Amino acid sequence: MRAMFAALVAGALTLFTGAAEAHGPTRQKVEITIDVAAPAAKTWAVVSNFQDLSWLAPVTKLEGTGGSDIGAERTLTLANGEVVKEKLEKFDPTKMMLFYRMDGDNIKALPVTNYSSRLTVKSVDDTHSTITWWGAFYRGFPNNDPPPELSDAAAIKAVTDLYNLGLGALKTKIESGK
Amino acid sequence: MGALLSGSALCALGGSFAWADEAFVTNQESDDVSVVDLETTKVVATIAVGGKPAGVSVAPDGKRVYVTSPDGKYVSILDAAGRSLLKKIDVAGGPVGVIVSPDSARVYVADWYNARVLVLDAARMEIVSEVKVGASPAGMAITPDGKTLYVCDRDDDQLSVIDTTNLTRTATVKVGSHPFVVVFSPDGKYLLTANVMSDDLSLVDVASLKEVKRIPTGSTPYGIAFAAGKGFVTAQHADQLTVFDVATYTPTGSIDTPTFPESIATSADGRKVWVTSWGDDLLVSFDAETGKEVDEVAVGKSPRGDGNFIRHTSHAD
Repeated sequence: MRAMFAALVAGALTLFTGAAEAHGPTRQKVEITIDVAAPAAKTWAVVSNFQDLSWLAPVTKLEGTGGSDIGAERTLTLANGEVVKEKLEKFDPTKMMLFYRMDGDNIKALPVTNYSSRLTVKSVDDTHSTITWWGAFYRGFPNNDPPPELSDAAAIKAVTDLYNLGLGALKTKIESGK
Repeated sequence: MGALLSGSALCALGGSFAWADEAFVTNQESDDVSVVDLETTKVVATIAVGGKPAGVSVAPDGKRVYVTSPDGKYVSILDAAGRSLLKKIDVAGGPVGVIVSPDSARVYVADWYNARVLVLDAARMEIVSEVKVGASPAGMAITPDGKTLYVCDRDDDQLSVIDTTNLTRTATVKVGSHPFVVVFSPDGKYLLTANVMSDDLSLVDVASLKEVKRIPTGSTPYGIAFAAGKGFVTAQHADQLTVFDVATYTPTGSIDTPTFPESIATSADGRKVWVTSWGDDLLVSFDAETGKEVDEVAVGKSPRGDGNFIRHTSHAD
């Protein structure tokens, strides 16, 4: 996670603050799945709470409205002081899937733009399940020839690191029952 | 259109000629184009193009396919029947949207970064001119006579209207937030833009160049197609098609799709719509009457197919 924030160059940021919603031409996706030694219902109970990210270390504060209903919002404050707003767009208990998008971009929080994400839980057997974290986004730099820290590779690495960290923490939390 | 008419005539005469549409799907992550036989639903060729291909347009005469590579900063000209690369044309900037004139002689390429549309001469296979438009030009539509081109200026929330005879911008039309695709209505009276950020379509009267109506869609509309008297819109974040009635331009329902549906096109016989699923690396079809999913074809990684990605042909050629 530290790498995620370190990947950003402060000097580059001021240049692009006016470019919200503009983005590069190549949408990227990252998908990571982890096995959890717990039944799917138990795993989904944790994953489905849109107003709880206590398992995601870089998030120091979460304030939200609307619970886990479609249209719910949450505002995350990160360890580096940056703020991210997210909105729940889909919530399907039958498919054990939720989908949300970042409301506006903050490349100081994550070097991506137009970020959206899906969390899905699947049952393996009575005592095991999987969590898949999927994200779609563009790199942080909206034009051609990006600097390395705002490139496609940097965006993919930041999201991959975030998902690995979060899924590992979710697994620990659910399996330990805490 | 020529291919479509001759195919139709053959059908009427012999009755034994089945439609054999082909899809040319740009796979942005795997840097290639999947050629899919839409009758057998098999991938019959994969053409490497590189440069993160996004936009695609099959020429109306069916002979060539034009593919944009925004990262590679070039346009690839493909021989459709030969499944081969004829030439790569370097263009500075970020080519995304692409459309071919009805006579297949000219190709218009929208440069996402430099607020212009480039004109590619098909016979000479080189860029011959350009015209200034608004910010982040993307999808385009052209009149059947080829004289007027409409360009989505995505980040200016407008359409640019281009006179193709003297290559000048004659008007702009304000639409919803971030239009990515524009198409003509089946009767030719309206243009419809898919507004990615405002989750709706703008219905623009062609004669007056005024927006006359908004049609709400599912979240993040990216593509529009027509079949069976209905309009079908890919609502990318909703994983759905929004369906609307073409007589009244009001929504009538939705159809669930695989994840992140992107572009959509109608089969030659008008019975199906074909949709790329960027999220699940699929090309899928839906019955236009019943809304039921019919076919599912695995293509390359992160398929986009933005543009006219279906080649209408028949067993006769």
